Amino acid sequence: MATHLEIKDSLQTFTDNFNKNDRLKIMNRDWNRVVVVKATDIESIHTWTLKDGVLALKEGEAGDPDLTVISDSETLSDVFYGDVTPIEPYNNGTLRIMGSEDDITRLDFICLMIWGE
Amino acid sequence: MKRVVSVSLGSTKRDHKVTVKLLGEEFEIARMGTDGDFNRALELLKELDGKVDAIGLGGIDVYLFVKEKRYAIQDGLKLMDAVKITPVVDGSGLKNTLEREVVRMLAAETGLLKKGTRVLMVSSVDRFGMAEALAEIGCEMTFGDLIFTAGIPYPIMTMDELEEIANRLLPEITKMPFHLVYPTGKKQESQDESKVQKFAHFYHNAEVIAGDFHLIRRFMPSGMNGQTILTNTTTSDDIEFLREKGVGTLVTTTPEYEGRSFGTNVMEAALVAILGKQWDQISAQDYLDLLHRLNFRPRILKLGT
Repeated sequence: MATHLEIKDSLQTFTDNFNKNDRLKIMNRDWNRVVVVKATDIESIHTWTLKDGVLALKEGEAGDPDLTVISDSETLSDVFYGDVTPIEPYNNGTLRIMGSEDDITRLDFICLMIWGE
Repeated sequence: MKRVVSVSLGSTKRDHKVTVKLLGEEFEIARMGTDGDFNRALELLKELDGKVDAIGLGGIDVYLFVKEKRYAIQDGLKLMDAVKITPVVDGSGLKNTLEREVVRMLAAETGLLKKGTRVLMVSSVDRFGMAEALAEIGCEMTFGDLIFTAGIPYPIMTMDELEEIANRLLPEITKMPFHLVYPTGKKQESQDESKVQKFAHFYHNAEVIAGDFHLIRRFMPSGMNGQTILTNTTTSDDIEFLREKGVGTLVTTTPEYEGRSFGTNVMEAALVAILGKQWDQISAQDYLDLLHRLNFRPRILKLGT
């Protein structure tokens, strides 16, 4: 089990990697979205806001997210630290993502652009 | 008579059966769609295994090639593994040979492709051979893999960047459920209207639009102005669709039988049945030699002004 602070740190690492990747910022200039990340086994909720190609992280839950990412604390921190890709936990049901198929696919691509081979 | 069947995740509306003579031997070539029903495709493959001479897998790729690297799509492998006796192919072997040849032929014998021609490839990792051949003759390339697969409006403009992004993404993308990255079943009969509008300029700015027909169709806007489409699988309805959109010329890499061109998986299955070898023992040169003996030529159809 990971702690709230570990999840927060993994999400911040992901945020920093996104924001320092100029190509990724260009790719996502058109994609303004709110993404909530929730742990199932501990109290830990964060919200990402992606606007004009810049990603911002804050603690707590937004009212009307476009995407909600739900998993246990260990999987969340593994995925956002880049220790595992989101595909395997998504396929085996450990990681759930609520939102449109297009948004889910795009989020997967972003993760892979940051952490891929 | 030899029997070749293509089992496709695509729409049953495109089902078709013809009898053709290849090198003096009669072939019954059939295409059976499953409307995106993965389990139905598995059942059908098991039913056909051992009863036909070769099977093609349609509406899905199994292998994607990026130069020498090969990536296997997990859903495609599951389908392939359902067939134990009959040779089964996905068309990737033929794409890598035939489509390179077609590009070279079009450049040498027609004015459709030349140095500086603006080409949009809606997806290139499923036909890397065509992408390389187009780049080699000096076409000005726009690779739309991220645009039309993930909705990311980022055109890839060079082979180097295409290779880098493909090698970064494909090891994991190939594990995703296939329907998330490619239109299967009923999606093949409709257009994604919001993306048609959003990405129309990529189509309008190109002189040639190349690649998988289902992707080309799903995102093609109105108001095309005489562009050339370079693809493989088309029906007579597809040709009418292209004409209405304003397309000028259709080039299909596989030959026409009774008003439509079959997918490369079907043609590769027919070639495997002729060669009588195991698929993994067939070389690119085997395909090339056979294509020359069969005098395979691309079909070039003028649709408008």
